[in-house]
Amino acid sequence: MQSPNNNHHQQAQNSSHTSTTRSSDSGEPSAPNNKWASTLLKECAKAISDKDSTKIHHLLWMLNELASPYGDCDQKLASYFLQALFCKATESGQRCYKTLTSVAEKSNSFDSARKLILKFQEVSPWTTFGHVAANGAILEALDGEKNLHIIDISNTLCTQWPTLLESLATRTDETPHLKLTVVVTASTVKSVIKEIGQRMEKFARLMGVPFEFHVRSDYLGELTKEKLCVSEDEAIAINCIGALRRVAVEERSSVIELFRSLNPKVVTIVEEEADFSSNRDDFVKCFEECLRFYTLYFEMLEESFMPTSNERLMLERECSRSIVRVLACELEENIEGECAERREKGSQWSERMKAAFSPVGFSDDVVDDVKALLKRYRAGWGLMQGDGHEDQTGLYLTWKEEAVVWASAWK
Amino acid sequence: MTAEEEAIIPNGTFVQTSIPGSNLPAPKRKRNLPGTPDPEAEVIALSPKTLMATNRFLCEICGKGFQRDQNLQLHRRGHNLPWKLKQRTSKEVRKRVYICPEKTCVHHHPSRALGDLTGIKKHFCRKHGEKKWKCEKCSKRYAVQSDWKAHSKTCGTREYKCDCGTLFSRRDSFITHRAFCDALAEETARVNAASSVHNMTTTSAMNYHHLLGTPIGSGIMAQHFSSSFKPISTTNEAAMDEARQGLSLWMGHEAIGTNNLQVIHHQLGPMNSGTVYSTEPLVSGSNPLPSDTNYQLPWMFGNKLSANNPEELLSTTSISLPLSNVKENGPTHQLVSIPSLFSSQQHSLQTVPSAANMSATALLQKAAQIGATSTDASFLGSFKLKSSNSTTQAEDSSKYSGLYGSNNTQTNNSLGSEHLENSSDITTLNQLQMFPAAKRQHTRNEDSTGGGGQTRDFLGVGMQAICHPSSINGWI
Repeated sequence: MQSPNNNHHQQAQNSSHTSTTRSSDSGEPSAPNNKWASTLLKECAKAISDKDSTKIHHLLWMLNELASPYGDCDQKLASYFLQALFCKATESGQRCYKTLTSVAEKSNSFDSARKLILKFQEVSPWTTFGHVAANGAILEALDGEKNLHIIDISNTLCTQWPTLLESLATRTDETPHLKLTVVVTASTVKSVIKEIGQRMEKFARLMGVPFEFHVRSDYLGELTKEKLCVSEDEAIAINCIGALRRVAVEERSSVIELFRSLNPKVVTIVEEEADFSSNRDDFVKCFEECLRFYTLYFEMLEESFMPTSNERLMLERECSRSIVRVLACELEENIEGECAERREKGSQWSERMKAAFSPVGFSDDVVDDVKALLKRYRAGWGLMQGDGHEDQTGLYLTWKEEAVVWASAWK
Repeated sequence: MTAEEEAIIPNGTFVQTSIPGSNLPAPKRKRNLPGTPDPEAEVIALSPKTLMATNRFLCEICGKGFQRDQNLQLHRRGHNLPWKLKQRTSKEVRKRVYICPEKTCVHHHPSRALGDLTGIKKHFCRKHGEKKWKCEKCSKRYAVQSDWKAHSKTCGTREYKCDCGTLFSRRDSFITHRAFCDALAEETARVNAASSVHNMTTTSAMNYHHLLGTPIGSGIMAQHFSSSFKPISTTNEAAMDEARQGLSLWMGHEAIGTNNLQVIHHQLGPMNSGTVYSTEPLVSGSNPLPSDTNYQLPWMFGNKLSANNPEELLSTTSISLPLSNVKENGPTHQLVSIPSLFSSQQHSLQTVPSAANMSATALLQKAAQIGATSTDASFLGSFKLKSSNSTTQAEDSSKYSGLYGSNNTQTNNSLGSEHLENSSDITTLNQLQMFPAAKRQHTRNEDSTGGGGQTRDFLGVGMQAICHPSSINGWI
């Protein structure tokens, strides 16, 4: 497949002078494998930002020729980002996103969702990292309490809780009562949460942990203390995994205030390390950051899963929806109760949290647990404490030395 | 010594006893009390310092110190003492028991003294000492170095097996899987329907016991047992129906001669029509089951059980192996007690020769078809639970496989013919294990031609790890 690529690339260079200068400078024309996608994509983004329609068409056409969602990493990235760029150029982002989402919802089921996430957790610590860190912090903060109430706002379908339930059953002398209130927003989750709840209840029974499961389907920005049914005698933990980024940027402070008003013993926040927020008014910058992050993610997926994995394909498609949403949908749109996932980096979240909370470090035991966890996966994963700056809040999961997931605890 | 045995078990969460069905989660469990010493024994109270001091045993001849009395005795021999002096004085004959110096400890009281000095030392360290030793792999902590060493050897080598048959090497992923596994869901539904509280407790006990990952060991038994049972998709239903009928073919036979077999037949009577998989042993059979051609051998199907027929749900245990331990289960179980795979007769997990048992079924099948009663005694004998090593099981299994294999040629066995059609390794392995499984696998393969990846993924989880040529020897 390489020579056709070469030909196209060379033809393009010969035909249009203005663009070739840049392409030949930055790219490696004779080595199409080498990050050609990144180059072309960035070029295209710039063209869109400049409203250079000839160039836009030209680059979209080239990308279309080279991209494929079933190829290698470059081809996949090209394919999904091309989709977003196209939507941006044609202002059809919302429609595209709705279509992609409804397609996904049709094939969604408890079985498929479960299979997907369990498989992902088996091959990659991307989500389990946050779980282990958060559970450790929660157990330590709630140690000795009799009535626990965990408010779970996560995108990991309650896969965090079995190990916590098991810990509650075995590590404590007197097993406390646990009430789990799950707040769901994503439509794909709403349809399966009932079944998930049933499994949790059964498992808790098995573990011998007195347990209650509640669900709230509110948009996070509209939650209130009353809706969450917290009572005075409960020790509260708020657990947010990949949740804060789904809140509209301007509403994030009020959500944090809501958390404060619940008076929790601990708040655990786990987010992916990317910034689509501070650059949301600068298309090219946002695009580049998006590309950087998803390149890491796609490469991680490629190295973690088997080549023929259906699960990886599902995860990649999930990304494609996110990418379209962030890059091609208007900022203020609230599509079906969900906001674009404008991620922020750990340091940014820390700034927000510090308005109402103080950071809690992870104990040595928890850090050891995380290290032990990472050892159980393939090589390439690492742990970083703090981000090197004076604010040593949180732990970072690193993939090939790049920080990818941030976990923190607050009180 | 008792104290040591108990203390060595990590978390003290599962203690093997001979009481069936008593493996509850640790905090809820009442163990046999350790430290119930001989009333005539001399109670020694040592201070923590003295207790932890090494070289307490001094040689009277040269003054050399030893940590253990046995070591001292060994040393003394080297001094070429006259024979009489080598003897212990009569004073020494009296048994010594030691109390724990920690005042708040239950073993501080003389009535709960522990009988062995090394034991009391370890106890003191474990319970009241600082846990200085930490496992790298799982970050578990230990106060006694030998405990830590022992743990490190086995850490990460344990395999956890879910009811559905999937094997895990990681405890955390096992736990998470278990919580979401269909096997769990169905089973608890069954438990809820069961009338007896005892049953429920037992289930929890069994499941918990299993959940905490009683080591399966790397024996062949694990290999045989693990399988592509995971019944996530409903395409299995059809396969199971057929399998059931296949089973009923031979279970319906009258030919079974001995009491035991009759009993088994009776017991294994139809479980429930709606149930595809059953993980319940027909133990504590409160209900003799109505005769019906539709039943399954519970142990053959790892797990999923539809919630249609609650009535028969007898007790618990996740996977039961019929035909084994016919004699061994206690009086609480009538007739044939079909112990679960995870029964508390513990060497069960290691030794429950699932291989042998499966072949037992094959044998029964053969017997039923041939109508031979003479073979009963011989294979019944071979069903006896062996606490032996896996090699014995391997031999047995290959022996049985031969018999089993011969069934394939019988055309009246619909399942047998299924076997012949299947040529994949996977199906072959399943056949070896249990034929309904094979049937199911076959169907599943057909159903998922596009989604071949699905089957592969699932199998990728555990199959390769357990496919050992020895298990397939002899009859492919």
